[in-house]
Amino acid sequence: MTDNPYQTDRGNKDVSITNPKGVGTITAVPGTDRPMATDTAFLIGDSMTGGYGNGPDILHDCTIAVNPGEIAVIVGPNGAGKSTAMKAVFGMLSLRQGSVRLDGEDITTLSPQARVAKGMGFVPQTGNIFTSMTVEENLEMGAFIRRDDIRKTMEQVFALFPILRDKRRQAAGELSGGQRQQVAVGRALMTKPKLLMLDEPTAGVSPIVMDELFDRIIEVARTGIPILMVEQNARQALEIADRGYVLVQGRNAHTGTGKELLADPQVRRSFLGG
Amino acid sequence: MTGVRDIRAVALFAAVAVLYLGTGFVQSWNIALSIFNMGLVSAILALGVNMQWGYAGLFNVGVMGFVALGGLATVLIAVPPVEDAWAAGGLRIVLALVLGAATIIAAILVWSKLAPGRLRALGMVVILIGGFALFRTVFDGGVIAVEAVNPAATGFLGGLGLPVLVAWPVGGVLAAGAAWLIGKTALGLRSDYLAIATLGISEIIIAVLKNEDWLTRGVKNVTGVPRPVPYEVELQQTPWFTDLAARLGADPVSMSSIMVKLSYAGLFMVVLLVLIWFSQKAWNSPWGRMMRAIRDNEVSAAAMGKDVKARHLQVFVLGSAVVGMAGAMMTTLDSQLVPSSYQPLRFTFLVWVMVIVGGSGNNWGAVLGGFLIWWLWIQVEPLGQLLMQSITSGMAEGSWLRAHLLEAAAHMRLMTMGVILLLVLRFSPRGLIPER
Amino acid sequence: MDILNAIVVLLNFVIIPATAYGAQLALGALGVTLIYGILRFSNFAHGDTMAFGTMIVILCTWGLQAAGVTLGPLPTALLALPVGIALTALLLMGTDRAVYRFYRRQKAKPVVYVIASLGVMFIMNGIVRFIIGVDDQRFDDGERFLISVRRFRDLTGLEEGLGIRTSQAITVVVALIAMVALFWFLNRTRTGKSMRAFSDNEDLALLSGINPERVVMITWLIVAALATTAGTLYGLDKAFKPFTYFQLLLPIFAAAIVGGLGNPVGAILGGFLIAFSEVGVTYAFRKVVGYLGPEGWEPAGMMQLLSTDYKFAVSFTILLIVLLFRPTGIMKGKTI
Repeated sequence: MTDNPYQTDRGNKDVSITNPKGVGTITAVPGTDRPMATDTAFLIGDSMTGGYGNGPDILHDCTIAVNPGEIAVIVGPNGAGKSTAMKAVFGMLSLRQGSVRLDGEDITTLSPQARVAKGMGFVPQTGNIFTSMTVEENLEMGAFIRRDDIRKTMEQVFALFPILRDKRRQAAGELSGGQRQQVAVGRALMTKPKLLMLDEPTAGVSPIVMDELFDRIIEVARTGIPILMVEQNARQALEIADRGYVLVQGRNAHTGTGKELLADPQVRRSFLGG
Repeated sequence: MTGVRDIRAVALFAAVAVLYLGTGFVQSWNIALSIFNMGLVSAILALGVNMQWGYAGLFNVGVMGFVALGGLATVLIAVPPVEDAWAAGGLRIVLALVLGAATIIAAILVWSKLAPGRLRALGMVVILIGGFALFRTVFDGGVIAVEAVNPAATGFLGGLGLPVLVAWPVGGVLAAGAAWLIGKTALGLRSDYLAIATLGISEIIIAVLKNEDWLTRGVKNVTGVPRPVPYEVELQQTPWFTDLAARLGADPVSMSSIMVKLSYAGLFMVVLLVLIWFSQKAWNSPWGRMMRAIRDNEVSAAAMGKDVKARHLQVFVLGSAVVGMAGAMMTTLDSQLVPSSYQPLRFTFLVWVMVIVGGSGNNWGAVLGGFLIWWLWIQVEPLGQLLMQSITSGMAEGSWLRAHLLEAAAHMRLMTMGVILLLVLRFSPRGLIPER
Repeated sequence: MDILNAIVVLLNFVIIPATAYGAQLALGALGVTLIYGILRFSNFAHGDTMAFGTMIVILCTWGLQAAGVTLGPLPTALLALPVGIALTALLLMGTDRAVYRFYRRQKAKPVVYVIASLGVMFIMNGIVRFIIGVDDQRFDDGERFLISVRRFRDLTGLEEGLGIRTSQAITVVVALIAMVALFWFLNRTRTGKSMRAFSDNEDLALLSGINPERVVMITWLIVAALATTAGTLYGLDKAFKPFTYFQLLLPIFAAAIVGGLGNPVGAILGGFLIAFSEVGVTYAFRKVVGYLGPEGWEPAGMMQLLSTDYKFAVSFTILLIVLLFRPTGIMKGKTI
């Protein structure tokens, strides 16, 4: 049983009265009590320590930074806190220490949706598309906060992912895994983000599709949008990374350019498999 | 475990006892006892629903149907048989029911034994249509014959003429049988649809009671169901009783009425205590722990090899049996079956208020909720009248609004129940006596 | 054999009444399905919401009638409908403020909302009974028939008559307008799409900048309109009685579930399916069969499958059959 009396599971299985699909799970727990001085990186999660709710700390003094126009990648073994670090940057973790700054502005206390409004685009690992809506509607919803003409941005997304133009009237849920990920990235790009965050974009897609997705991600970065990405496929991710963070048990284990890390014997030995 | 919690529970029970005693002192002991008797039945109802909701998280919104089945059992067991009606068409109706059952069994057999395909679908449709036509041909004639037998007084088959106490367990069995059928179907679907299933079935059961005159006399009601306790008039003529009344200096008439109510209270109390004892035993047994484990995490319980569906069916049947028994007791107390009196707000949703307010998953909480909510349900009406009288006292005599307000005061009990439910859900979501 | 008369009888006693009833159920089921899709619970107070809205319309109609305002051949209630919708919307939004919003902040599980809706149901039920009482109320006025049975007979020379009541015609027209408007709104407007997005994936909707509170408020607004319209049409067609409206909950839930909970198209299909089965199974087909068969073969029985008192059994059986073969309903459920 959870502490919250309204969150017990009793009786929730009866679908004639309760609708389990698509229930919101995001809990906004932004902020620490200790604001810190800001730095120069475009986005920085600075010495973050924290965990979920009142649970134990998962991150320990962990720092993640993305420079303008660069691709930063978080890699590490299973359970190293990669996704947790990204959630912390996005305001979905209770930070007990540290700060998050975007373009010099402290956003530690902002809720996730406010961070979206500030220009952070986020593609979650799962549930990252509106399955029952068409591809075009998915993109439209991505641009929901914008009040200006979105057609130009949509054209750019279609130019980046040509397959989506062909499938734009099709329900996103009917697409293949790789195409869904393209929709997901496209949706996030529709906000015209100043920065894009991808949580394991290649999870569950075939190697060929994975290569294609990485190519597309590089293309996005070339348009000037810095990218922060969590990746399971460390080797390939580090190959395209300008900056890599190897996390182990919620701590920064190694930091450097992608090439440096690929060449680092310790990194290779410990988890790139030689 | 903790002393504070126990003290709180005892204090709450004491507070409810004060309500009942206060009713006795302020109004009359007769009123207090009749509320108390229905309070006992309500407590049993709440116990039954708490088994389903509290132990297993099953959302049963068809409580009314099981209560009504208990009532039906009372009629079928205790009312003397109507010989003429049996002679006129009783066997024909029985035959029709057997035919109907045979049709359904045959259809199920065809469905499960034959390979899927046209033949199977066709066979089942033919059996169902043919069986239904046959059933109606035999059944309709029997019903007309039975209902024609002295319709003003009987017009139905009557019951078995057995002692009415037999009806209580039988009511439980009847409700359990219905619950098994419902559970087997609704819990067997890929997702649970128990709520809508129970909602529908309970309406169907009431429709049957209202319309099958040969069974229940329908809206003509069955009155004068035999009692398990003596009649007031008999008591008043018994020497020892009049003697006792004289010694106590009480009026024999009102004392006989109190005596009868006390006898009912005694019987009900025995049932309630036995049920609580069993419920508490079950709750603290390995079985109870397993039920809670399933309720709190179905997936992991299933992964540990627990048969979730079978356990759900089991507890659903058990809870419904308790509700059916309470239904039989209620009809015994009223000594009449009035099918049109079964209303979902009163017999389904009010019981839900009792369970939620009392404390889901806590047997004592359910019992407390039963007593408390039933008392409020009865007493809010006079209190509402009082309130309205004070509000309208300033208005002109014969004013339209005043008359309307006074007349409508009776409906305040519904609002009160809603407000109480919402307040408890908001400020004490686990109920007055929470689950440990 | 007299096919023409058979068709007229069938139209008059089955198809036309069932269409009107189906439209009313569909509107009710749309409300239930919207709440299920967006607030993610089955609202047990929906029948009483319909009763509340209809009550306001009735009171307003009486006021208009007393003031001498009518709509000529059309029922005055249509004029009062917007007032009913507005007040019901206020009631629902107030309820959301006072009851449901707290649980949203708590991230409560859907079943908590179901229980809260039981409380709301009691209160609304009490309010309606308190204000208008428990009795039958009729409030239809204007022209009673679009085509009366006698005029139809005179016109066609057929043995059987066909009557279309104004209330039935209005029901179908209004329901059609409401459904088209709803679908246009959900599929074509930004706000409508944001509601579908919220229903599909709450988290992603939040990440896209969709404001949940706004979506919920608009949902209640639409539900108020649908429920009041459904209730008013039902009341015009039959009669208003609080308890009947409370009991409509079962066929409405059945329609929404049969159609696929959360799916508006399904709700409409479900509404008509339930209505046609209810009317069809409880109608005595004696006359129809009599006309269809050869002369003198008219059946002796009523040819009625079930007495009308068992109409609940029909909705329920249909529900069960559909769920056994298509567990998610006719249209795949849980999407808007």
